[in-house]
Amino acid sequence: MSHLEKKELHVCMGLNSCKNEGISNKNDCAGQGDCATAVGHPCHTLNACKGQGACGLFGTTEEFCHPGENDCRNQGSCGVPILASRFFMQGPNKGLSVWQLARKRFEEKRNGLKPKTGSSPQPFGPTQEYVNNLPNITDKISASCGQSGNRSCSYANDPVERSTKAKERVLKMKEESKKKLPEMLSRCPKNAK
Amino acid sequence: MTKHKLELSGKVTKDNIEEVMQQAIALELATIPTYLSTYYSINRAQDQDVLYAKIHKQLSISRLRSPEEIDKLAQEFKLDVLVYANKSAALIMSVVIEEMLHLALASNVKQAVCQSAPDLMGIGKVLSFPAYLAGHKPEFEIDTAKLSLDQLTTFLQIESPKEFDKFHLEKQKQGIVDYKTIGGLYLMIEECVRKNFPGPYKQRPQLLPPDKNPDKRKNNPKPFYSQNSVNTVHYDRDHKPKFASADDSGELVGVHDSKTAIEAMKLICEQGEGVKKKDIPQHFLHFGENKMPIPMPVVDDTDGGKKVEFFEGDYDDVEGKEPAHFAKFLEAYSLGHHYQDKFKEIEGLDDFFSYFVYNQDKNPTQADYEASGNTALALCSKLGNAVFAYILLMIETCYHKDESTQYDLFMYGIHKSMIWLLSGVGNQINQYTYTSGNQVAENGKITYGTQAYKGALTFEYFAFEKSFSRPKAQIMDLVEQLAAADPTNWGWAIDSENYFPSLPDVGLDHSIVPDMPKVPSTPYKHHH
Repeated sequence: MSHLEKKELHVCMGLNSCKNEGISNKNDCAGQGDCATAVGHPCHTLNACKGQGACGLFGTTEEFCHPGENDCRNQGSCGVPILASRFFMQGPNKGLSVWQLARKRFEEKRNGLKPKTGSSPQPFGPTQEYVNNLPNITDKISASCGQSGNRSCSYANDPVERSTKAKERVLKMKEESKKKLPEMLSRCPKNAK
Repeated sequence: MTKHKLELSGKVTKDNIEEVMQQAIALELATIPTYLSTYYSINRAQDQDVLYAKIHKQLSISRLRSPEEIDKLAQEFKLDVLVYANKSAALIMSVVIEEMLHLALASNVKQAVCQSAPDLMGIGKVLSFPAYLAGHKPEFEIDTAKLSLDQLTTFLQIESPKEFDKFHLEKQKQGIVDYKTIGGLYLMIEECVRKNFPGPYKQRPQLLPPDKNPDKRKNNPKPFYSQNSVNTVHYDRDHKPKFASADDSGELVGVHDSKTAIEAMKLICEQGEGVKKKDIPQHFLHFGENKMPIPMPVVDDTDGGKKVEFFEGDYDDVEGKEPAHFAKFLEAYSLGHHYQDKFKEIEGLDDFFSYFVYNQDKNPTQADYEASGNTALALCSKLGNAVFAYILLMIETCYHKDESTQYDLFMYGIHKSMIWLLSGVGNQINQYTYTSGNQVAENGKITYGTQAYKGALTFEYFAFEKSFSRPKAQIMDLVEQLAAADPTNWGWAIDSENYFPSLPDVGLDHSIVPDMPKVPSTPYKHHH
């Protein structure tokens, strides 16, 4: 029996409803899980169940407003987990953080519920390095999807400089997204889902 | 060589409009394999360190430069290749997506105005490459081919907003050029619709946009069209993302009367050729003395690379958010021309395109692959053709079904097939090689003999009707054969139930097997 079989299935870090519902079973509270428990899938139309489609890469503007809220199998927008570097490809939030919108939606849904939603282990969602160092991750998670290449990268020739520049650029996107989060929510079409 | 002509009528009347609309749909459909074949020939995201090392080595051979100079130039040329490859691919994919939209828009017009569903499988049966647009003078060949300036020239001719003088010297000799554009065809149809088909039209199934009223959205068509995806994104030299399509560049249009029919056709023309307002400057297709299109001027960009500057009329919208198809292709052509010339001047470097374009033959055929004895390649090609034909069948079926079924077909079938199944085959087939004895024409020179090529999709018709099995069963049979022939690369395809096995099961008679794919653990049911 898979260790995930009896768990709440969700699409990323900080989107769990209960204690010990992150992939490592070590979180104390809702919203503190370290990674997705959803059955792994690479992308759009390939997810196994309701609520297991992530977001941002393939799909419609409407889907991109509701990460992890798909009604059915094969209806999810994109792959899990939602790495911190992932940005929206389409719609009013194009270029902004997918994870931050997903987290905000999660917090809104849990507003007033117990247990109280705790802080996410990483404030802007999981990095590729963080996820790949978790003990229960069997297949390496990559920021590449589709054919356009890695979203967390740079073209610098020196490997150290390449990594630094990539992190700087992703951080800029995360900070810009944080500032624009209220707008991100308001710009989504009403009744989009 | 079979010459397949896509006939364009000279006149549109109320008696022939049904046939003309079917021709217009055929034109839209013919562009998709052409553009896709070129898209799949591009290696968008290759290993930058391997590329750098290759260029570095080539620059080092001449011993003319200092090590510092070589490092700097290798980095510059690496960026030229990576950024152009990714950008040209994103531009082509953004056009492919809009051509899919155009196919639906033209089909909506036929369904509503002519009260007859589009016959996409009928078009698929006769479409083969090279294809020609009859009625265009001079006639030009449309190929399935790898990215090159020649292939981009074909794209420019397809999307040209204005009659063009292909070879101006010939024009001077003949004194006249009798030419039509695709936009010109739609203008004739619009005139006929305005005059003879004011509407309202009897309601029949169409592919519709979601309701603009959010309160009605729950029970009305759900959205399934999206302009941008991760495949229309590309990165500049600082690795900042760029998006090839604007969000509001166009949407499905429900056709109910002459006003909406004309709105749908105007969108097709504007996305392809630009807004075309009087006295607004726009780039057009002009050929130079070398019989190749004259490129746009290339200027410095802020990221240290190069760019072109568009005119107001080059965009498909008055706000200037997104260049039309013609302008996108002229940009790809002009930048490609620039970099090809730049690389030519550097001793030791190869042709610019050879760094990121797979060496695929022009208009390859299934027969080439069968003759090569490469079983996996031949099966891969067959599977690609079957998936493409199945996409046409699923779209065609949408015009016989209700909105709920259309949504299912898109979400479970068409999206999956376009994004994963056809792409999977298109991107894997170039890992196979074969030899062919075709003649090869490149840069004006023709050579004969056996050449080694990478495999490519052939986009030949897959005749599902030759078997008693349903089309999906035939696809699954091919998947099994391919997995047996090449288990390393295709073994996953029979085991991964969310890919091929979860396609909807659509018959040639547009029947759909209920509850396929099965959706366990949810109350969801398909209502076909």
